Amino acid sequence: MTFRVSTDLPREIVSLRQSLFLATGGGITIAGVWLLYDMYAEGGVGALEWVLMALFVVLFSQIAFGFSIALWGFLIRLRGERFDIMRTIDGLDESTSPGSTAIVMPVYNEDPARIFRGLENMLVSLKETGQSESFDLFILSDSNQPENWVDEECAWASLCSRLQLHGRVYYRKRRVSLHGKSGNIADFCRRWGRRYRYLVILDADSVMTGKTLVRLARAMDANPTVGIIQTAPKIVRGISFFQRLTQFATHTLGPLFAAGSNFWHLAGGSYWGHNAIIRLQPFMDHCVLPELPGRTADDRHILSHDTVEAALMQQAGYQVWFAFNEDGSYEEGPPNLSESLKRDRRWAQGNLQHFWFLLAPRTHFTNRIHMFFGLMAYLSAPLLVIFIVLSAIDYHGKMKAAIYADRLSDPAWTEAWRNGLLLLSITLLMLFGAKLLGWLHTLPRARQFGGMLRMTASTLLETVTAVLLAPILLWFHTKFVVLTLLGLRVSWKTQNRSDSRIPFAQAVREYGMLPLAGAVVLGVTLYWMPVLTLWLSPILAGWLLAVPLVMVTSSDEVGQWLRRRGLLVIPEETAPPEVLRGLDAIPPALVRPGSSSNLPHYGFAQVLLAPWANAVHIALLRRSNARSHYTAALENITQQLLALGPDAIGRRERMALLWNADALATLHRRIWQTPEENLHPWWREAMHACAESPRSRKE
Amino acid sequence: MGEVIPDELSDWTDACLRLEDYLNAHRIPDREHVLRLNLALVDEARREHARDPSRTPLDVTMSLATQRVEAWFSRLADDSAPSNPRLAARGRALWFTNDLYEQFPSAFLTEPPPDSLRDAVRSVTLRTGPDLELARLTRQEVDYGPMEEIASGTWQQFSWGHVLRAFLIWVCIFFAAYGSYLAFFQK
Repeated sequence: MTFRVSTDLPREIVSLRQSLFLATGGGITIAGVWLLYDMYAEGGVGALEWVLMALFVVLFSQIAFGFSIALWGFLIRLRGERFDIMRTIDGLDESTSPGSTAIVMPVYNEDPARIFRGLENMLVSLKETGQSESFDLFILSDSNQPENWVDEECAWASLCSRLQLHGRVYYRKRRVSLHGKSGNIADFCRRWGRRYRYLVILDADSVMTGKTLVRLARAMDANPTVGIIQTAPKIVRGISFFQRLTQFATHTLGPLFAAGSNFWHLAGGSYWGHNAIIRLQPFMDHCVLPELPGRTADDRHILSHDTVEAALMQQAGYQVWFAFNEDGSYEEGPPNLSESLKRDRRWAQGNLQHFWFLLAPRTHFTNRIHMFFGLMAYLSAPLLVIFIVLSAIDYHGKMKAAIYADRLSDPAWTEAWRNGLLLLSITLLMLFGAKLLGWLHTLPRARQFGGMLRMTASTLLETVTAVLLAPILLWFHTKFVVLTLLGLRVSWKTQNRSDSRIPFAQAVREYGMLPLAGAVVLGVTLYWMPVLTLWLSPILAGWLLAVPLVMVTSSDEVGQWLRRRGLLVIPEETAPPEVLRGLDAIPPALVRPGSSSNLPHYGFAQVLLAPWANAVHIALLRRSNARSHYTAALENITQQLLALGPDAIGRRERMALLWNADALATLHRRIWQTPEENLHPWWREAMHACAESPRSRKE
Repeated sequence: MGEVIPDELSDWTDACLRLEDYLNAHRIPDREHVLRLNLALVDEARREHARDPSRTPLDVTMSLATQRVEAWFSRLADDSAPSNPRLAARGRALWFTNDLYEQFPSAFLTEPPPDSLRDAVRSVTLRTGPDLELARLTRQEVDYGPMEEIASGTWQQFSWGHVLRAFLIWVCIFFAAYGSYLAFFQK
């Protein structure tokens, strides 16, 4: 049945669903707290127990509400969802063009080959819809590595040429990368935001089908009160064991959490910063990021901008929806735990900043919930550590007292511990129940996941590995929260999505503290409280095995071995969609000739030598660039470069040259005019590569 | 033009090879056209070299070639403006990105360039975006509620001097209380 946002979503439905969601999560939390109180009551509830119960409410509610989302998601998936934003376009005329849409992809030193292969597939897919006239694409680069910059330009120019898309696909390089991704998008809005009705934001690894892009724009056309529609991107193209675990989990559990989230928030959704469509005018009018209270400019800058933008959009009276059931939206996951943690550290700091909005008077209820969950995703780690330590102290005291009073066989005592075991069972049921629901939901499509047996084995493998990885996350999330609270900043770093393997030395350097800590805790508990060792065994196992675990999960070989055996397989692997094909192939403009495969600074050589790369680069530099005069300092750099090769100058100097049109034109002429014997040997190789390069030859 | 003396022969060979590489880098598919250009440019370079033997054959040949190419691409992009590297870059970039070298295999460095080539070059430009339509983005003012006042009050008033003074005061109070206890209540 078609759904109309304007008429078919009464307030009562929203209230009912939010009440049901809160009642489920809240009810489970109350039951858990009751059991814990009952357990404590036997030995007397003192100050320590009250502190423990307060911590328990916070921690247990996270598990309870997580399970609640999965449960409602499962039920919704069983009976179907009427309130799906993408159903608002069912039956509408598909021949009319959707509103003008800018697709923007901010990039920052990511692999240019992967970026442009993904974009090419998207553009081809968009062309096939017959509606591509409504879309322009912008690559907004903040890359600060000379190689990346040159490669991005060459790949862009080649893409425009091959698809005949000049004037529809643009490449812009910012000189000053102010405020990272959010600053890059704000810069786009300032320049061209008024030209477009909608904005689709992509990450460097995002891929969306043309059909999905058109459908999103149509959904925005059909619902003028909708400000943002967020899709649920599927994680695909996993190579390493870690990536394959992540993609399998998001394919089996993701649909439940997505449907469950839409169930409770409906028009009050969140925004994840990419693979989403935004109504531009209200975004520019109302979603320019505010400053946080703080002493320094860094303190005042919002790091995780997406959730705040969704909140501001709702404050302005626009709805934020989650296209939870829409296919054709993809992204890739980090290749190993280290890269995942690097991202977590950034997110931890960003999510903790949202604390300010929790208490802001105008923040909507659903946004407060989103922000609270985001905050607790990291804050719960140190709280759990405190809870475990205090519980151990409490347990030790009570055991000693019970042994002293010879009460271990007392019925009241055993009843209390029976409650404890019941509580543990409920906790485990909720932790693993979501996985079970995910398995049940995936069962009818088991063939796409390698068959029922393999899908079941994959679920078990994913569960066991997740259990072992959880204590490592506990350790690092605690560290991130503490570092953030101490005011140590996090910089915007490139996510490495390609190099996965973590060698032994790196694993020991980054994770060596965990087995040490595990051994100490194991020794202490074995000596003082042997029974507690059993309770702590999942955490101790994760810490003691951290180094081999991190190494094994980072392995491409293990990942591929599992794939060959049909484990951790996802539907996009059994039947790959067209838009994901060929993403590993190198775009023609970036193919290196065999003789130069090991030539360092290859891109830099091309921009100085190859007439095409040199001309494209100069043509894109801004005319008004005040620093484009060929100064004495640049002449000095040039002479060093010619005589000593590119290693004689640093990255900054190479970037300075790349920003200077006069210097590049002069260098291009001078290199071609200088006899080989007056040039550093690197140039000979570079000239040879240039003669063989596809940037010089016909592709 | 005199005979090339044997010592200079290898220098001229180097110059010819470098020139050939340079012309090939412009992806001209008409091989015969490249050879003709190569010969013409080298002949001209020899005459130039005869006038000024202090310069090397490579320098003379490649200076001539790069100047000629730059001027030609400049005119192709815009013949009303004087030749300059930016204009040349624009013309050259479009020569490549629009595959014009394929459509006009024998037109490279011809004077005057064909009108159709000129029109083709000028029909497209390499741009970082469409025409600007500047918008003013105004930062949102958010009321963070009472926490903001408490926090900003703390930051404005906070100093280690205050902390130290408070610490000393409380230490004194503690010892005073403890002393009183010892003096009056301890038996």
